Amino acid sequence: MKQFLFFISSVFLCYNVYSQPNCNAYLYHGDTLKYEACLESEKRAGHYQFSREYQEALDSALKIDSSFAYAYKVKSTAYLKSGDFIMWKALIDKAVEYDPEGELFYRGWCRYQFFRDYEGAIADIERLDSLVDYDIGFGQNGDYHLEITRALCYKAIGQPEKAISIIEQKLSDSTYFASPYDYLHLGVLYLEEGAQDKAIEALKKQESINDLAENRYYIALAYRQKGAMQLHRENLAMAEKLYKKGMKMHDPYTTHMDKIYLSQIEEEMENGLE
Amino acid sequence: MNPIVSIVGFMLNRLPYPILLIFVIFSFLSSCSSEKQQSKYLRWVGDIEGDSTLDDPAFKLCHSELITKQYFHVGQGLLYDGEMLKIRDIFHSKYKSVDINQSGWIRIRFIINCRGEAGRFRVIESDENYQSRAFDSKITEQLIAITKSLDGWQPLPDAQNPEDYYQYLIFKIQGGDLIEILP
Repeated sequence: MKQFLFFISSVFLCYNVYSQPNCNAYLYHGDTLKYEACLESEKRAGHYQFSREYQEALDSALKIDSSFAYAYKVKSTAYLKSGDFIMWKALIDKAVEYDPEGELFYRGWCRYQFFRDYEGAIADIERLDSLVDYDIGFGQNGDYHLEITRALCYKAIGQPEKAISIIEQKLSDSTYFASPYDYLHLGVLYLEEGAQDKAIEALKKQESINDLAENRYYIALAYRQKGAMQLHRENLAMAEKLYKKGMKMHDPYTTHMDKIYLSQIEEEMENGLE
Repeated sequence: MNPIVSIVGFMLNRLPYPILLIFVIFSFLSSCSSEKQQSKYLRWVGDIEGDSTLDDPAFKLCHSELITKQYFHVGQGLLYDGEMLKIRDIFHSKYKSVDINQSGWIRIRFIINCRGEAGRFRVIESDENYQSRAFDSKITEQLIAITKSLDGWQPLPDAQNPEDYYQYLIFKIQGGDLIEILP
């Protein structure tokens, strides 16, 4: 079973999940050059996105049409995941140059997730919002709406009130369903601003949607600040239990904002004994 | 039929089988070799070739270069005793800010072998616009030294089946201060 899970996770992690565009669509719109480039890019099928064969197939596609934004983006991903911010940025900039509406979401999200380039991410997300009249959508891994991402970037550059306002507005949208970490981040923001009651309310909502070690840890901090030491202890015990069960913020590539670690839970348990 | 193709076909038909076999194998190998020489890519993006002028001769991979993985291949994130929190604590306690107007990112990429040893350290640096630049050596030398001193790397995927893998650390620098450690 373990080997099966390893195999499945390897497959999902090793092969990128961008859907290949329908090459015939380019033909339908009369763009035969992009159609041919698109067909050429399909030769990377079955090759790992880091591999020579994968990269060379995309180079061949770009020789046919140097404005094929999709090829730049899928070429960039191996550089992103290997931490080569210089090559990644050069490639993704080309993709954005030729298809800003289609690729700004990816560049903005990656600037936040992989490089903590908060100002750059805000600029990309806000530019995308100015270009389109539809929902700007989610970051690449699907865990964060780009509005929530934008809010976290504002928090990181020292504008927590703006971050709270953006998240509150998004969560009040009746057409929006909260994502796995939205209420957690909102709760942490309230807590950091000294609004314990609001923090507890948000973190309880997080508990009902996606109960994690993190929301239990932060709610324990809020209870300690209010002097509710029994609730502090109970939630820390639950945080420890969830952490050890793997119910915590996790991403295979990067580290989440507001993530906590076992040693922090243990340290806070000792604080409660003082 | 093209007369040249006809002549080559006629000659190949009359070659003894062992010579023909050697000819085919030689052609295949030379085509593979020339293909590799012509490519600007290594096996994978981010691969690090050993360099005796840079690398610790004591550092060895446990397996072939061809099966060295990436840290995220088993989906467990960064594998270090004490996790990323420990790495942050080490850097923040050891790194001394440099009073200089330089900002951007520094990546140190390396390989962790099956014994949890790190080697083949390589550095890239950029300014805050992702343009290649060199930071003051007082910054980079500290980061390299601290990275090389890390001794809590865990094998991938587990102690029973250890493999070699690539890992990197990215340091976000603002005005000579270390403000973020990634991934």
